[in-house]
Amino acid sequence: MIWKIAFRNLTKNARRSVTTAMAIGIGGFAALLFGGFVTSIWFGVQTSMIQEQGNLQIYRQGYLEFGAANPDDYTIQGWDEVAALLASDPVLNQQLAVITPRIDLAGVAGNAQTGNSKTFIGSGVVPSQIDEMHKWDGWSIGQVSPASGLTDQVLDGVVIGIGMARMMGMCGPLNVADCQDRPVDEDALTEVETDFTSLVNDEAEITDLREGSVERPQLNLMAATSSGVPNIARVGIEAARPQAIRAIDNAYVMMHFEQARGLLYGDSQEATTLMLQVANPDQVDATKDRIQEVLDRAGLDLKVFHFTEVDPTFNRIFGMFTFMFIVVSIVLSIVIVFTIVNTVSMNVMERVKEIGTIRALGFRKGFVRALFLTESALIGLFGALIALSAAVVIANIVNSAGVQWTPPSNATPLTVQLMVLDNPLFAASVVGLLILISVVASVMPTFKAARLNIVESLQRA
Amino acid sequence: MNSISTQRSFQPDSQFQPVDLTKAGAPAVRFNNIKKTYTMDRVEVDALADVSGSIARQETTFITGPSGSGKSTLLNIMGLIDQPTSGELFILDEDVSRLSDKAAADFRSEHIGFIFQSFNLIPVLTVGENVEFPLLRRVKSASERREKAEQYLDSVGLADLIDRRPGEISGGQRQRVAIARALVTEPTLIIADEPTANLDSKTSLEIIALLDHMKSEFDTSVVICTHDTSLITAGSATINIIDGHTA
Ligand SMILES: Nc1ncnc2c1ncn2[C@@H]1O[C@H](COP(=O)(O)OP(=O)(O)OP(=O)(O)O)[C@@H](O)[C@H]1O
Ligand SMILES: [Mg+2]
Repeated sequence: MIWKIAFRNLTKNARRSVTTAMAIGIGGFAALLFGGFVTSIWFGVQTSMIQEQGNLQIYRQGYLEFGAANPDDYTIQGWDEVAALLASDPVLNQQLAVITPRIDLAGVAGNAQTGNSKTFIGSGVVPSQIDEMHKWDGWSIGQVSPASGLTDQVLDGVVIGIGMARMMGMCGPLNVADCQDRPVDEDALTEVETDFTSLVNDEAEITDLREGSVERPQLNLMAATSSGVPNIARVGIEAARPQAIRAIDNAYVMMHFEQARGLLYGDSQEATTLMLQVANPDQVDATKDRIQEVLDRAGLDLKVFHFTEVDPTFNRIFGMFTFMFIVVSIVLSIVIVFTIVNTVSMNVMERVKEIGTIRALGFRKGFVRALFLTESALIGLFGALIALSAAVVIANIVNSAGVQWTPPSNATPLTVQLMVLDNPLFAASVVGLLILISVVASVMPTFKAARLNIVESLQRA
Repeated sequence: MNSISTQRSFQPDSQFQPVDLTKAGAPAVRFNNIKKTYTMDRVEVDALADVSGSIARQETTFITGPSGSGKSTLLNIMGLIDQPTSGELFILDEDVSRLSDKAAADFRSEHIGFIFQSFNLIPVLTVGENVEFPLLRRVKSASERREKAEQYLDSVGLADLIDRRPGEISGGQRQRVAIARALVTEPTLIIADEPTANLDSKTSLEIIALLDHMKSEFDTSVVICTHDTSLITAGSATINIIDGHTA
């Protein structure tokens, strides 16, 4: 009967109820859409990062703290044996889709034709395995990263950042759109650059690096080896690709793993890290524990990290949007609270005599409270339904429009996918919260209603 | 202390000894030295100065008196929706002078029915639901509630209006619905403050007659406050209040 009374009173004051439900609905709608966006960031940005660097990464103990200063002291020795060890574990074998090494390196790159040279930072990866990682879609959101542009067969191929291409004067030769080469001024070539270029040219003649890919613009890379002796390689640029961070884009060189290993370690099987991709994202923590167990049991001085421990970018992006979401939600909640307080107060005011009657008929204050709180809960429910249906409709429109945005972590844009219903727990929480806010906001006017003096209430017209 | 003047020679138990409820003639309500003071602009005004009296079981008692004399105040105190400043009130020999809000509500639900001047039906409920309404606290089964509502609506002659809304029936019919609503809980006491003030004289007489009839049919005491002395049923008890005193 209480629901009947509540529902009928809402329909009786249809315009007021609809206005209030709309206020709740619009607030909830905004929260759902924004939340849908944050959800898509959660899935999308993580997917991008997992595609780039795997869910888990193994480093030598202490690498994250001190490795940057002295990378050679913190390499994984015999990475191939470690990879084999993990692959031979029956549990890990099920979970790990990709185990692939990476070498991080830095040095000087020069171009013989333009005479340009500059420092580079880069990585050596196994192209086929990187391309395999780029296909990861553990949350089935249909997001793929483009192939690396390198192939296993072409050991001397590299992909460089757009900024790097620009500074090396290679936009033209590489046909990079929206990229202007630094004007070449022969006289301006510094002595160092000239020296470096000639040094590389001499060296290259001696080592006679892979020929046959003459068409490609060439780059000479010099990296300091662990023994301190600079090693030089001549590579061919396959493509220029934008990198997320400008400073890295200006210096980035991605090369074949064997190329990097040859430059730095010669024949020794060393790698900076082993990147591991876990097929099922729900299994990441369990897999991580298992890996550490296996590593420890083998007495290896290695530690496995979640990719967010290595690179805090994701947590920062997600934290920022979550913070924004919370602020927006609080503002929306305040608006909703005021609307509800207003509506309930008006409802109470109009029904003072009814309240007096109900109390005279022998109902306790609690009944009066329950009556009005039920109305508020119903309004909240209607508002939430408005919010949910509007959010689903608009999200579908936006999603099919294919709007693009580039998260701070990414070099290439992602398609905006507002995930409203994809995270049912979130959608249900918003609905629940809207109802809760409606009820909680009504507590004060409702308690006032219950405290009304019965005799005075009955005297109202 | 004022004594009660009743047209019928009923003497209340002035010693306030426990009364055997099964004993015929034991009063439904006794009130003793009831005083109700309002403070307005720091001036104390006695709505009721000092009233005592009783309401007999299965009787209709009229409370009369000029406007502002304190009739409503006394009725509200008797109906446990107001508290006396001082004095004692017994209903069915239970001391109900100082009940907590909850206890008073429970007591009303159990023992008291109200009939109001402007009917006070809940507008969004149908006639049947209005009659059912007071049973919400007491009868869990919806079908049982419905059955009782039908029975009492029938007894006020409105069974066929059960699905109408209060706005779709006449004033006299509304007050009959209110009577059915007051009776449905089988109360000890029905309190009616000016129940006919909004009705024409013919309907007023019908309503008073109906209430008077109900007292014996449903074993209840009816207290009616009115300043229309022409409505007073012959042979009924009357309490006349003048200026906060029983006269
Ligand atoms: N809430 C209040 N505050 C102050 N004075 C009040 C209040 N309620 C009633 N009174 C005063 O108490 C007195 C008795 O009022 P009451 O309503 O009981 O009279 P009544 O006999 O029912 O009059 P009527 O026939 O006009 O209904 C009046 O003088 C009134 O002004
Ligand atoms: Mg009055």
